[in-house]
Amino acid sequence: MEFLQPSTWDDAMAAKAAQPEAVPIAGGTDVMVELNFDRRRPPALLDLTRVAELTQWGTDGPLLRVGAGVTSRRLIAELGGRLPGLAMASRTVGSPQIRNRGTVGGNLGSASPAGDAHPPLLASDALVELASVRGVRRVPVAEFFTGPKRSVLAPDELVAAFLVAPAGGPQQFAKVGTRNAMVIAVCSFALALHPAQRRVGTGIGSAAPTPRRATAAEDFLAAALPWDTRGRLPDSTAREFGALVAAAAAPIDDVRGTAAYRRHALSVLAGRTLRWAWEALCD
Amino acid sequence: MGTLTRAVGQAHARLDGPDKVRGAARYSVEYPVENVAYAWPVPSTVVKGRITRVDTRAALAEPGVLAVLSYENAPRLTPAGDPELFVLQEPAVAYRGQIVALAVAGSLEAAREAAGLVRLEYDTWPHDTVLTENHPGLYQPSHVNPSLPTDTEIGNFDAGYAAAPVRVDATYRTPAEHNNPMEPHASTVQWQGDRLVVHDANQGPGQVQAGLATLFGLPPERVRVITEHVGGGFGCKTMRCCVVLAALAARHVDRPVRLALTRQQMFGVVGYRTPTIQRIRLGADPTGRLTASCHDAISQSSMLKEFAEQTAVYGRPLYAAPHRRTTHRLARLDVPSPAWMRAPGQCPGSFAVESAMDELAVTCGVDPVELRIRNEPATDPEEGTPYSSRNLVACLREGAHRFGWADRDRTPAVRRAGRCLLGTGVAGSIYPARSLVSSASAYAGPDGAFLVQINAVDIGTGARTALWQIAADELGVPPDRVMIRVGDTGLPEASLAGGSTGTASWGWAVAKVCREIRVQIDDVHGGSVPAGGVHAQVDTTADIQAQQTFSRYAFGAQFAEVRVDVDTGEVRVDRLLGVFAAGRIVNALTARSQLIGGMTMGMSMALLEEGLWDPRSGDWANHDLATYHVAGCADIEQIEAYWLDEDDPHLNPAGVKGIGEIGIVGTAAAITNAVYHATGVRVRDLPVRLDRLLGHRA
Repeated sequence: MEFLQPSTWDDAMAAKAAQPEAVPIAGGTDVMVELNFDRRRPPALLDLTRVAELTQWGTDGPLLRVGAGVTSRRLIAELGGRLPGLAMASRTVGSPQIRNRGTVGGNLGSASPAGDAHPPLLASDALVELASVRGVRRVPVAEFFTGPKRSVLAPDELVAAFLVAPAGGPQQFAKVGTRNAMVIAVCSFALALHPAQRRVGTGIGSAAPTPRRATAAEDFLAAALPWDTRGRLPDSTAREFGALVAAAAAPIDDVRGTAAYRRHALSVLAGRTLRWAWEALCD
Repeated sequence: MGTLTRAVGQAHARLDGPDKVRGAARYSVEYPVENVAYAWPVPSTVVKGRITRVDTRAALAEPGVLAVLSYENAPRLTPAGDPELFVLQEPAVAYRGQIVALAVAGSLEAAREAAGLVRLEYDTWPHDTVLTENHPGLYQPSHVNPSLPTDTEIGNFDAGYAAAPVRVDATYRTPAEHNNPMEPHASTVQWQGDRLVVHDANQGPGQVQAGLATLFGLPPERVRVITEHVGGGFGCKTMRCCVVLAALAARHVDRPVRLALTRQQMFGVVGYRTPTIQRIRLGADPTGRLTASCHDAISQSSMLKEFAEQTAVYGRPLYAAPHRRTTHRLARLDVPSPAWMRAPGQCPGSFAVESAMDELAVTCGVDPVELRIRNEPATDPEEGTPYSSRNLVACLREGAHRFGWADRDRTPAVRRAGRCLLGTGVAGSIYPARSLVSSASAYAGPDGAFLVQINAVDIGTGARTALWQIAADELGVPPDRVMIRVGDTGLPEASLAGGSTGTASWGWAVAKVCREIRVQIDDVHGGSVPAGGVHAQVDTTADIQAQQTFSRYAFGAQFAEVRVDVDTGEVRVDRLLGVFAAGRIVNALTARSQLIGGMTMGMSMALLEEGLWDPRSGDWANHDLATYHVAGCADIEQIEAYWLDEDDPHLNPAGVKGIGEIGIVGTAAAITNAVYHATGVRVRDLPVRLDRLLGHRA
């Protein structure tokens, strides 16, 4: 196995173009597990940890642009105020050691339906910036995932960054598991309220072949919420929102839970995060 | 020596702690050895079959590869009792994951690569791997682990049960559970001529020495096993195939060999706790006094060997009832061999019995602490013998007081805090207190220092430190004048670390030899150590044979408080509290660690641990720590362990009962009883699953 260690972003893209079968590795929290279990044996690894550009974040117009190599720990510490939903999700990732290593770029690259970062990125309309020697493109995260552990990433492309607007309203994230940490979620849900546009964002994790939005639930809620009065959230609204979120999922039975349980739990998480978010907005 | 503080009872930090924290403590594959080679096992990929062809060409073509061993070319062994140790001798495959070949190379990486290139062909047969209560192969084994009666009957259970005004009849299930010590099985083996020198992670260096001697046809004195530090065992580090494989490889390639199993390999070959199916029937009067009890336990073993978990033994000495029966039935399946896991028998058995007692308490409308007190026997209800000491009631009362049990409302599913239902539960706990034969030596130097030696083994429990404390007190000197050596077959022979017998058995030999040294110094040498020092060596065979007949058990009471999310079914344990009566506690620090470690493992059993079996592939579906969840510190809010000052004169010189296992006994039932109290849902199948608590709603 070849081990490629570019020190600049241009070199990294050139290496990926020259050897498209090279597997990019950042924190290694997914890739090393797969190698260790002999689930894959790529001809080359492309180590991105020396590429300084990837570990930086800044602004790009109204958006935050966060390099793919920024770790979960740094997301929490440096961007928790501006991206509260993503920070909540990041806090539930693995253990402190994993959060020190794992990156959102790696989460996107792996494209697991259970990736913790995905629901909040979906809920806040993030863009994924993909780059290759051919150029740069920005893909809405909702269009990024194409199947279990599959994405629109072309063989010569790398995840460079994600772009997202700082939260314009309350954001929430919740997941269900047999314990609080060090566990793959049975299912997860993220919610973002965008009061300025009277819009709602959602993201479902671990309950479909890909992370996905619950668009019917978003549309219903955007129309149903008493944005003007900021009045009490009717129970019927929360229930209907929960039901629409559950309907948007396509879960399976597996060792972590039944499909029926996942749908039920998603409706609970949706209602719960909605109440928290609405209370925060009205406070 | 007047005012010398006794070392026993103090909270001494473990002697090996600083070395372990600094990384200076050497584990079995960390000893520097010249010219060492590495071995990597090849597991069977079929369940039931016979190897028809071993193709090692690709593996041997790999640079650095020294050999590939299989039944075709491995050095011949002499059977040593346990068929799991008779590795690479026969083409038959008894279960998936069984080691069928071994690659040996100059580097770990080359060995692993070569192992992946070994091609095996098999004839295969249909397999039968699923335990059910009506499996046609169920039979009555001649005895259950370790050598206990399979079935017992006192009085007439059927008549007693039929006549009982109140009855509970329920079936409980526990899944396969895996020991998963942090350190895997690991060995470094060197042949020095016809001598075998082994560094091995195990719970009984003497057992490994004897096993290797038989397998390789050597006198035991030509096999030396060194086991200085072990990273946990929980029962699975009694002798296993790892050390045999390493010794075969070392003989074959004529070089020292290292072998450490991977976590995934451990799920196949080091043993696990059998799944159990347990039917409990309790008959009682309306006040909850038992008149009849029956415990029927079903478990599995492999085709390779019979291991009969002693599940129904739990209740035999515990609660009074004139009419009582216990039975064990076993099915031999095409599965890996189950074996000992922390409190074998007692642990799964306690889940069923202590759950059923809770169900009886609910049926009778009696407080579950009071119910247990009402069923306190005066003597062992099956053996008729007196107890050396029995403090279950004291543990229950002390625990109830500390836990704040007094004003508990028994109504289920009525306590709410936010979105959670709250509940509390209790369970009893019992574990045998045994002492086994051991020997020890001691040396008193003219400089006032003492050396105490025994082939005990410290698997991370603090045993070394406890023995050192016992020695210091018996010698009547401050502990810093005593040095203790354990974990080497070059030292006086001792029993293995299992069944919570270590401190009782080894402590007996240590206490005895230290007394002997003092007698020699005082009576023979007039109170001072001569220039040549003083030696003594003892063994406890006669002492143990002279023990009077008593029922010797440690007892405990476990209390749990849980929180259950009403909408998602998530269970969190807010508090665990255990009170134990386990004789004298030698080291308050390491004892507490043993007890809360056991309780945490019991919580893990209640909520997380489940070996998921795939009957189609005949293999575990989860075989790593990412998918087989083991509880950690963060999974419990508050955990407390207390002990009673128990002075039992009928045990051993140190007065100890053993504490390695009782902490896990009863914990799971305390938690599921609390889950019932919180939600009204009775969980009879472990672990508690989120969806099972929601019933029809999900």
